[in-house]
Amino acid sequence: MASEMQNSNPTILNAADLPKRLRPAPSRKPGIFGNGLFASALPFVYASKLPPEGFTSSSESESDDDDLLEEPIDEQEIYDLVSTISDPEHPISLGALAVVSLPDISITPTLPYVPASPLRTVTVLITPTITHCSLATVIGLGVRVRLEQSLPPRFRVDVRIKEGTHSTADEVNKQLADKERVAAALENGTLMGVIAKMLETCQ
Amino acid sequence: MGDHSLVGIVDLMTGEKDPRNLMLVFSILKVVMVEWDISNHAELLFDSVYNYFPITFRPPPNDPYGITAQDLKDRLQDCISSTSLFAPHSIPSLLDKLDSTSPNVKKDALNALIACINSYDPDTVSRYSITIWDALKFEVLNAQEELLSELSLQALQDIAKRLSEGVSQVSDQLPLAQYMRPITRECNDQLREPQQKQAKPAQQILGFLSAASFASFMLAVQAVVAPLLTIYQEADGIAKQRALLDTLVVLFDSAIKIFGEWTTRTPETNIENPLLEFKDQFSDIFGQALMGVIKEEVSFRVSALKGFLRLSTLRNFFQDNEVGLFVQYLDEILLKEESVGRDDLKKEAIAALTEISKHKPRLIMDITFPAFVATLPDFDDGTNSNYLPTLESLAQISVEKDIFETLVRRLLSKFNILLQKEQPGSVAYPRAILVTILYVMSQRKMDQDPNLELYYDKIVVSLCRNAAISASGKANNNILNDATVLDTLGRLCNLIVRALPRNKQDEVAENVYTLYSSADDFPSVPFSQSASDDQQRTMIISTYLLAGLPTDCASLPYTSPNMSALLFDVVKRSTTECAPATHLALLRHLSLLVNKFLPKSELSLATELFDTLLPSNAEGKTLSPESIKTLFWLSKALVLRLAPKTSDHLTSLLSLLSSPDKVTSTTAAHGFAILLRDDDVLSTANGANIRLLSKQRVFTTLVPLISSKIREVNVAGSDSPTPEHIKPAHLTALSGILSTIPPSLVMPELPTLLPLLLQSLDLQTSESQSVRIATLETLAVIIRDNGVGVIEECGHIQSLVTRLLKTAEHKPAGDKAAAVNSPRLRADALRCLFLLAQTPVSDAPAVAKAGKLSPLLPVKAEVVRSLGFVLDDPKRDVRKAAVDARGAWLRGVDDPPDDDE
Repeated sequence: MASEMQNSNPTILNAADLPKRLRPAPSRKPGIFGNGLFASALPFVYASKLPPEGFTSSSESESDDDDLLEEPIDEQEIYDLVSTISDPEHPISLGALAVVSLPDISITPTLPYVPASPLRTVTVLITPTITHCSLATVIGLGVRVRLEQSLPPRFRVDVRIKEGTHSTADEVNKQLADKERVAAALENGTLMGVIAKMLETCQ
Repeated sequence: MGDHSLVGIVDLMTGEKDPRNLMLVFSILKVVMVEWDISNHAELLFDSVYNYFPITFRPPPNDPYGITAQDLKDRLQDCISSTSLFAPHSIPSLLDKLDSTSPNVKKDALNALIACINSYDPDTVSRYSITIWDALKFEVLNAQEELLSELSLQALQDIAKRLSEGVSQVSDQLPLAQYMRPITRECNDQLREPQQKQAKPAQQILGFLSAASFASFMLAVQAVVAPLLTIYQEADGIAKQRALLDTLVVLFDSAIKIFGEWTTRTPETNIENPLLEFKDQFSDIFGQALMGVIKEEVSFRVSALKGFLRLSTLRNFFQDNEVGLFVQYLDEILLKEESVGRDDLKKEAIAALTEISKHKPRLIMDITFPAFVATLPDFDDGTNSNYLPTLESLAQISVEKDIFETLVRRLLSKFNILLQKEQPGSVAYPRAILVTILYVMSQRKMDQDPNLELYYDKIVVSLCRNAAISASGKANNNILNDATVLDTLGRLCNLIVRALPRNKQDEVAENVYTLYSSADDFPSVPFSQSASDDQQRTMIISTYLLAGLPTDCASLPYTSPNMSALLFDVVKRSTTECAPATHLALLRHLSLLVNKFLPKSELSLATELFDTLLPSNAEGKTLSPESIKTLFWLSKALVLRLAPKTSDHLTSLLSLLSSPDKVTSTTAAHGFAILLRDDDVLSTANGANIRLLSKQRVFTTLVPLISSKIREVNVAGSDSPTPEHIKPAHLTALSGILSTIPPSLVMPELPTLLPLLLQSLDLQTSESQSVRIATLETLAVIIRDNGVGVIEECGHIQSLVTRLLKTAEHKPAGDKAAAVNSPRLRADALRCLFLLAQTPVSDAPAVAKAGKLSPLLPVKAEVVRSLGFVLDDPKRDVRKAAVDARGAWLRGVDDPPDDDE
């Protein structure tokens, strides 16, 4: 195993420093300690505020406004999908190894001249930890599989090596963009085994 | 007995394979190894046992002898580690085994190595220490498995411990120093780039070795701290500095293990802490990192805070004024800084203050406490609620006795000032103050508090009296007329009353309704003809007081000769319309009296009440919602104590569901959730009479009835039309019961229940959302605990999956005809789908499962396809659930093997 390892000591980003989605703080209503410390310590104080008989019509109407609010798929969501994939060499996530990073993900309309078209293209640029990493293709394939499994059909997935970060970037890009070769790779049991293992850690 | 017999013994046992004999052989040989002179035959003896390493024994099925692999491993390990004479053979052989590819072999080798290190004499250990380090280094730095890395670290630490034995003076010539030198050099090398992967294991090595003994700590500090500080000064980025701070924190942790914290009881060592030399530098670096960087660098500041906290709790390290400086930093973070992101820093700051309050309560009292209390307003004018985080912080740091007492005293006086004000502002503030007191008191053992009687006088007696004055309209303001304030006050009183000694509890009993006021000032509520709404509301407090009293309390008012009159009065009040909070208090009051205080001999009174409220000939009658709720709370009290007529009552309640009046039927349907739901007042903590089998009884009585009724409705179809609301009402009642029953009770009835649950998923109206959510929750628990097998046994996989997919669908709001699936509902349905495909934790061996196709296979294509569209849901949480579910189905449900294979 050790001899195969190409980069045994990569730089790791601290988990706390990875980009995360900040949830808008739930509006805190004075008088109801639903969100703070007292809610966790004394759940009954909050619970007793609900109509005890389960006629929850009031709380239903409250969330109605939220229901209408649409949350479109954005770059952070794509990042969350792929950053938890583990690296095939280390039990470390692609996010922590900075193989994928938020600024290198973009979502663009597939047909810019047809504004009404719902089609979107997701572009993910991956940065191998070292420039001659032969596993870059496998990583790219893993990212591709993950996105194709997790995005609705109207999304087109484009995974490429970031410019200037890999010695054979063009070749790898060609492989990743070639539908036939991707499909053939996915028929390969050993390769799928590696990719399934990478995707195991996805949360 | 010389060499001859030694060789003979070894010859005798050579080739032994039976585990029973081996257990004996290992024991016999160990005696030989320890007691005899084996210096001429060490290798022979060692080989005779080491031949068996590693042990791969697996007991036969139905093992008749009870010998496990572990037993054999233990005895073999005892032999290998029995004498230092084996060291030249054992240690190289064991280290060789680390090249094995099997983690189990490596684990056994490491365990044996640890045993050898701990039993061979220190000189021997020293001879091999560096060899062992060279071999184990790889295991730690390129850890493949956590357990192996932990064992390796343990071995390295044990060597340091053995080499420290008897060391009182640290010098370069010590075997320990020679052992540590290559290690600290390696760590220093790795830590030069502290963000790289191998820096983390280097930190661990440092942590384990420095915590081994005083001497090893000394050596580690001498070798490592100065270079670390240099790298820190030269570091070009905050991320790098942060990683270095984390390394120092590891060293501080070791320091705490060796020198203890301020509160550690072990005798103090008179050895000087080598870290003291760097004290000022640490103080500067961590202070600068905590307070001198931009506020957004939260994770960096958190690391600094953790380091500072370790130093502040480390025994005899900082002076009080230095800890005080840290406390001031924390105060500043909590009081002055705006929230950033998830407020991680503030959470850590509070935790740190709480920790310091255990070691240096004085500092918290002198610095933090006044600063925080000073920011509390006199009253809340409704513009901001900044006092809330302050109160929360105060509540959390008040674990130490002195601080707790001061806090309660200060808050009570704030509250009393508020009660005097003509214009006290929003009632949220006084309520928050009471909640804070309630929180801190609930964190302590009040029955052991020496000031309990004081709190009784100040809170129970005085504030209850104030509430009575307020109710009569003679107070300066109406804080104590607010139901939420009364509720909190009630809980607080309840907590105190429970802890009181018996004679005081009797005093409380006498004042349950009078609230410590004279009859002229405040007429007690029961039997009063003209109680105003304000006066009725004091029943909230009365209920909590009553709940805190012991069951056999003799001096309850209105209970002799029997409770009849009191019960009827409470029922009369609870069946007339009043404010929800007051109504709930009356209902709880009733059920407390019936459940806890009504003697067994007088249970007929309760039955009588029930019959008055619901005459048996009431088929098709219309009841007011108040009466229905009263009925259910009364039944709750009776059901929980398993009164003789429980089943009759339950059946009568169920008949309400068939009422032709829709309101009666739906109200009753929701009522079934009340019966078994945990209640804050009618709880075991309050000494309520809750029998263990009550849940079982309700379930086994009601579910068959509900099931047959629904079947009846389904069969009847259009021939004899039943009102439309009846089926949903029964399903609602069912979901109410299920939500309060442990899943273990549900399982045996699953074949009956599952069709009902599926039907409740078919409900389409928006009122049915809560029912469907409850159903999905029940399903989720069933699936999670039992896997897909149970659903398969009932033969409902296809229908379940179809309904779940339907529930997960998002339909545009404009489409009125379609059912509305709220985001929560959609996410819950997806969760069930996820759990279905998640491979269940099965005890069945792989062999038994091989060749058997997943029961989910027939629907896999449909699910994967449908979920593809759910991935486009407008709500993020739903999409997330869909991603997980789809991933689980793609991964967990295997396709059939191809035929040609």
